[in-house]
Amino acid sequence: MTIRPPSDLAGVNRRTLLTGAALAAAAGLTYPRHVFSQTEKGHPLAGKSIRMAILGIAGWLPSKLGVDMSPEFAKYAKARYGYDVSFSFADAPFGQLFQKAATSLATRSAEYNIIISDSQWLGALATPKWIVPLNDIIAKNKDLDIEWYAPVVRQAYQTFPDGTANRYGFPQEGDTIALFIRKDLLDAPGEAEAFKARYNMDMPKTWENFERLSIEDYTKLAEFFTRPDKGYHGAAMQYSREYDFISCPLLSFMRSQGGDVWDPKTGQVQGVIDTASNAKAMEQYKAMLKYQPPGAINYGIAEIVDVFAQGKVFSAWQWAAVGKAMITPAMQGKVLVVPPPGFKQADGSLKRDYIIGGQPWVLNAFNDDAHARVALDFMKWWYLPETQMEFAKRGGNPCDRATLSAEGFDELQPWYRTYKYMLPRSSDFWHDPKYSEMLAVQQEAFTAYATGQINDPAHALAYVACKQQDILFDSGTASKQPSGACAGIRL
Amino acid sequence: MPSEATAPRLPAPALAGGIARFLGRPTVLPGLLLIPVLAFFIVWNTIPTLWLLGLSFYRFSLTSGRAPIYAGLLNFQNILNDSGVWLDLSRTLLFVVSGVGIQTVLGVALGLLFWNSGRLPGRRVALTMLFAPMVLTPVASGTFWRLIYDPTFGVLNAILRGLGLSGANFLGDSSTAFAAVLVVDVWMWTPFMVLMTMAALASVPKAELEAAEIDQLSWMQRMRLVLLHHGKYILMLGILLRTIDSFKTMDLIYNMTFGGPGTTTQLVAITLYRRAFEAFNMGWSSALAVILLLISIAFTATFIFVLHWREKAGA
Repeated sequence: MTIRPPSDLAGVNRRTLLTGAALAAAAGLTYPRHVFSQTEKGHPLAGKSIRMAILGIAGWLPSKLGVDMSPEFAKYAKARYGYDVSFSFADAPFGQLFQKAATSLATRSAEYNIIISDSQWLGALATPKWIVPLNDIIAKNKDLDIEWYAPVVRQAYQTFPDGTANRYGFPQEGDTIALFIRKDLLDAPGEAEAFKARYNMDMPKTWENFERLSIEDYTKLAEFFTRPDKGYHGAAMQYSREYDFISCPLLSFMRSQGGDVWDPKTGQVQGVIDTASNAKAMEQYKAMLKYQPPGAINYGIAEIVDVFAQGKVFSAWQWAAVGKAMITPAMQGKVLVVPPPGFKQADGSLKRDYIIGGQPWVLNAFNDDAHARVALDFMKWWYLPETQMEFAKRGGNPCDRATLSAEGFDELQPWYRTYKYMLPRSSDFWHDPKYSEMLAVQQEAFTAYATGQINDPAHALAYVACKQQDILFDSGTASKQPSGACAGIRL
Repeated sequence: MPSEATAPRLPAPALAGGIARFLGRPTVLPGLLLIPVLAFFIVWNTIPTLWLLGLSFYRFSLTSGRAPIYAGLLNFQNILNDSGVWLDLSRTLLFVVSGVGIQTVLGVALGLLFWNSGRLPGRRVALTMLFAPMVLTPVASGTFWRLIYDPTFGVLNAILRGLGLSGANFLGDSSTAFAAVLVVDVWMWTPFMVLMTMAALASVPKAELEAAEIDQLSWMQRMRLVLLHHGKYILMLGILLRTIDSFKTMDLIYNMTFGGPGTTTQLVAITLYRRAFEAFNMGWSSALAVILLLISIAFTATFIFVLHWREKAGA
């Protein structure tokens, strides 16, 4: 065997070698990071096998995507960190997910290493120290200090208590209310003229038209397209007593007209939720039932998907997250996803202050060191630009500024333009540990009014105010007791 | 001290004899055989009940992050002052009385229909179909009844519309929701009362039935003097079991209406579930559970008293 001297390396001259090296380096820089990167030296789990468990929301696409994409993380972890990781998944519907997570965490169990929580649960999960506080972790891992598209992302999905810098969650998916419109009905011959003749206004047809649409004008549109004889109605909105279904759109009506639900600084509810403005919002919301199919009073997320996908409504107020389910293959090209209507202010401007949806990831505080490390690695991978872009391509709703500002993002999914528009115009409600108890009272009273069990919206709001004030006073969040008028109040 | 090798040993036959004598005592062997059952009962019933009782005297929320605080009778006081709980209890009472009442009447009627119907063609199939609802899980029953009642897609409304009638939102309308869930409960549990009626009828001595026939007793007299006289204990047991079970109804209704619309179908067990497992207010819900347990015990004691009173009166 002959060994060539270095100067005569395969007969290649120095210039060729340098050019080749430069090209290889350039190729390496442009190649996706996770493919190029070599095993991180000294990773404490290198060579080990770890089994992770994720708890997520049943039947919720973005939650499922987080789960579906996790095998990609397994490949990434093997290549970058040198360990094998496999995932198992558990899920529960919205109404039961908190119960499933809390009963497990209350026993200090690490049954679920990573949990997809709803944003309002942060307080209930953080207060008993069931989930990992993230401030120190983010300080040490700058790649987790993401720039979000809007401040609400951090407020809704990360922060507890409200107004502090304490972070407990990583945004898994963002979500906002969107209006799904049957464009084919809008564009049908003669409709625009008939609408103009009846209401003396132009029929909104484009995204920009809908951006300028007030709730009053939307009501006209819903009325116009309520045609039971043809098998469809003008609108579909949520009124169900399940979980927070009636609360989210109804609170959006309230907030967009200057109302609120509580004062997060003092925990005061009485005098905040039980106002004339909020009572008017309740009347408006109930009045919309006129333009909805029979049975709309039971509608939750799934029922709205059903009626819209089956062509039984002209428009539907729905979470952007279920856009894939709303726009079925049969509906492709027939649907326009636009911002829900604005509410006219005293100065004539339109205001949208809608309730935000979406969920954060939270990390189980009882994970052992190995699982805690893998959970952290998983989060780092989740926020890689290519992972977030892949999530967006599959129909999830990312929250980071880089992805949402990327060229072509708006065109990736039919609802992305609206989602991006609505994100800064959305806000969350309580992050209090008593969230669930307060929600139960609210759902009870709102549905009691919507279904006609009681006829006075002011009484429903007074009931909510009294009961919630009592709950918050009892837990020490509110400093004031419910007023004397609350004695014996009932629906 | 004798060494181990030289220590006196009990002869093996004497040892076996001793064990046999010990086991032969009248109380020992039954006691030993009862140990597994008692252990199960203590671990899964007595200890949790005592735990529940203890927790009912504490302010304790699972999500508060604070240790339980002794509160004496505060939870009980709060519950008894809560007008919502009283409304839930009255709604539950109405549900139990009307539900069990209808189930008993229908159950007895159907039981009499199937009595002595051994030669009836298709009897087995009919009985199997009749008993099917009882063996379904309430969650499944609730789900498909919710779909049956659905005003847009439901088969019931489709039939009504087919007959030229206007559809109804059975579960969404506060004037019909209670009746709608009651119908499902009756559909589900009438078979149980049929079963109890058939068992009651089977316990009637044949000789007395023949005597009633020879004496040419009227149908009503036969019912009262023969059938009810012998079958009443089994029927009463059925009513007692249904009453206690109906008082606990939660999953069936929760799956159909979540207690709504408003609070029109909110029974007390739903309130308990929500406070315990949605709000995790463990002290308050333990106190409510204790109150419900006492009510169930009161039901049982009343039934047993009535049975014994009739027995004594009869004697």
